[in-house]
Amino acid sequence: MKTPRQRRETTTAYLFMLPGLLFFTIFMIYPLLKALQMSLYQWSIMPGRPSQFVGLSNYAQAFEDPVFWIALRNTVLYTLVTVPGQMILAMLVALLLNYIRSGRVLFRTIYYLPVITSWVIVSILFKYLFQSPGGLINYLLTDVLHLIAAPIAWLRNPTTAMVPIMSLGIWKGIGWSMVIFLAALQTIPGELYEAAAIDGASRWQRFWHLTLPLVRPTVVFVLVMLVIGGFNVFISVYLITAGGPMKQTEVILSYMYHQAFDFLEFGYGAALSYMLAAIILVLSFLQIRFLRRPVELY
Amino acid sequence: MNGKRLISLVCIGLLIAVLITACGPAASPTPVTKIETKVVEKVVTATPPPKGPVTITFWHAYNPLETETLDTKVIPAFEKAYPDIKVEAQPVPYDEFHRKLLTAMAGGTAPDLIRSDIIWVPEFAELGALVALDELMPDFNTFKGKVFPGPLSTNFWKDHYYGLPLDTNCRVLLWNKAVFEAAGISGPPKTFDEFLVACEKIKALGKDKYGFADGGTYAWAVNPWIWSNGGDVTDPQISKATGYLNGPATVAAYEFLLNLVKKEYIHPGILGGGVDTWGGFAKGEIAMVLEGPWFPPLFDQQFPDVKYGFALMPAGPGGAVSVVGGEDIVMFQQSKNKEAAAEFIRFMLTPETQLTMAEAGQMPVLSELLATDYMQKHPFYGVFLEQLKTAKARTPHPAWPKMEDILTQAGQAILRGEKSPQAALDEAAVKIDPLLASK
Repeated sequence: MKTPRQRRETTTAYLFMLPGLLFFTIFMIYPLLKALQMSLYQWSIMPGRPSQFVGLSNYAQAFEDPVFWIALRNTVLYTLVTVPGQMILAMLVALLLNYIRSGRVLFRTIYYLPVITSWVIVSILFKYLFQSPGGLINYLLTDVLHLIAAPIAWLRNPTTAMVPIMSLGIWKGIGWSMVIFLAALQTIPGELYEAAAIDGASRWQRFWHLTLPLVRPTVVFVLVMLVIGGFNVFISVYLITAGGPMKQTEVILSYMYHQAFDFLEFGYGAALSYMLAAIILVLSFLQIRFLRRPVELY
Repeated sequence: MNGKRLISLVCIGLLIAVLITACGPAASPTPVTKIETKVVEKVVTATPPPKGPVTITFWHAYNPLETETLDTKVIPAFEKAYPDIKVEAQPVPYDEFHRKLLTAMAGGTAPDLIRSDIIWVPEFAELGALVALDELMPDFNTFKGKVFPGPLSTNFWKDHYYGLPLDTNCRVLLWNKAVFEAAGISGPPKTFDEFLVACEKIKALGKDKYGFADGGTYAWAVNPWIWSNGGDVTDPQISKATGYLNGPATVAAYEFLLNLVKKEYIHPGILGGGVDTWGGFAKGEIAMVLEGPWFPPLFDQQFPDVKYGFALMPAGPGGAVSVVGGEDIVMFQQSKNKEAAAEFIRFMLTPETQLTMAEAGQMPVLSELLATDYMQKHPFYGVFLEQLKTAKARTPHPAWPKMEDILTQAGQAILRGEKSPQAALDEAAVKIDPLLASK
């Protein structure tokens, strides 16, 4: 049983939470449910115009849509390349920063800079870097480094068009993971390393058997967050290739955007975004379920 | 608070949200929504004339030079003549315009007026977003009689005129004089064959010299070649694409372009990735481009030393046929100041305003201006007017964005050599036919 005083405190707590809850309901829950409703309709965007209920046919349409499968494949591919890319490089940078004595703040800031740059600006920048003929990357590869004979048509070729998009994703993401890894590394007590060194563990063994298990929860957290981020890739694709050439670089969000805002297929667009949400939900659940274990010391 | 409480709280929240959604604007066809539509229609005819100061919003995609003319000359003149009406003009980048409008319409915050690409009018009219100007403006027929019939027709959809033309244009061939001289070509190509010969001579100047460039395989770029070759996208009644888009003349037009791509006479940017045609044209890397009347004022500002000439689209078996562009001024149903907005439309169509905008590269649409000294002695409007005589419009149809996407993808498949022109166009025609039949 609660005393009146406790009850009063609970009421006060709810009152304090009310603005946040309202905000969350209006700007998160309501649009979410509205989109769910849209995904079941042949949605008409004009207020006051009737929309037609079509059940699950928007979802069924996706399974028969070849571009949806291309978009899904590209989204998965992007995640498979950029998530490990970001994590490995970020861990490397974090280890180095943890190791050096002076200038740590300076380098941490430098590596974090890409994170705070605008997606729009760096996407356009990367698009220009990868122009052909005449882009800076092609110039470096042909005239400076002499690695290739003729310029590569990066953005005109479906296979190479993902290169600028993925390298942008990795470059821009390293800083974020690095900061989190660095924070985790700094919590590891130095005595453990001393003990390991006395036991004769090599530097690699110390990393593999000591550092990595100790920062495991952090690694799992970063992994889950980056996978969510990877599946949500949009701005870079939209601005660098716009899904082209021939829709070969569409990802789910860019395809959804084109369907909704170019062709007025808001119902289909909403269905696509719900399918993406379902995929992310399942993946995140699986990752947390199978990867998160308590830290073991051995 | 324990976990269960949190869950139940979230559930309650969700339930409330569901109820809100259910009570909101209904999505299913209920009698309520029908009544709403009727109310909107009534508002159109019965807006009282503006009393006191009102503000109207006008969205446009004028280029920087045209925007400057609008903001510093046209709007101040209007506000002086109509002190009770303030005009808030907002420039929107062309590529974002269509999407931004849809968002605004869905949210009920559409502007009063826009300068709309002629190709969007049927789509917005079909959505029920536009005011039929022939119903709203008692003097509509006066304007109807004053403007060129071609641009006027782009405002017509299902028995009504939803706008008035604001400016017109088409693409003509611009040729870089220095490059032509270096390649030993005497003048601009008049036919497809001469075009090919010119390209060959320009390629001989160097591997990085291109005879021609365009930004992609969308209709604005490829249709002049299709039409000049005697082909078309649909039948004249716009009822089917089969037999036209995949007809022999259209197929041959794509084969012509494919040949240009294979021989690298066209800059590879047509296959995607973007190409800076203006910069390339200025540097002499690109010898010929198809451009509209907005090009000279803006280009000359950036590259005052480049000498270039104007010519008609090279003629094929179907003649020298270019693509008509231009913009219409249309009014949205959501406008709360329809009478004031109509005044601005009238003002935009006065000879004075039309001539002011003409200075910035906006070709006038008033027939009476054709005989004026200004138009007669103009350095380049003459060639555009000549080209306009045969120029054609892209398919006026609400499903145009989807059609154009199909056309663009087919063009890409062809020019990349992934499909034969016949096969790709057969497929495209099959996809476009049902779009034309559905509405």
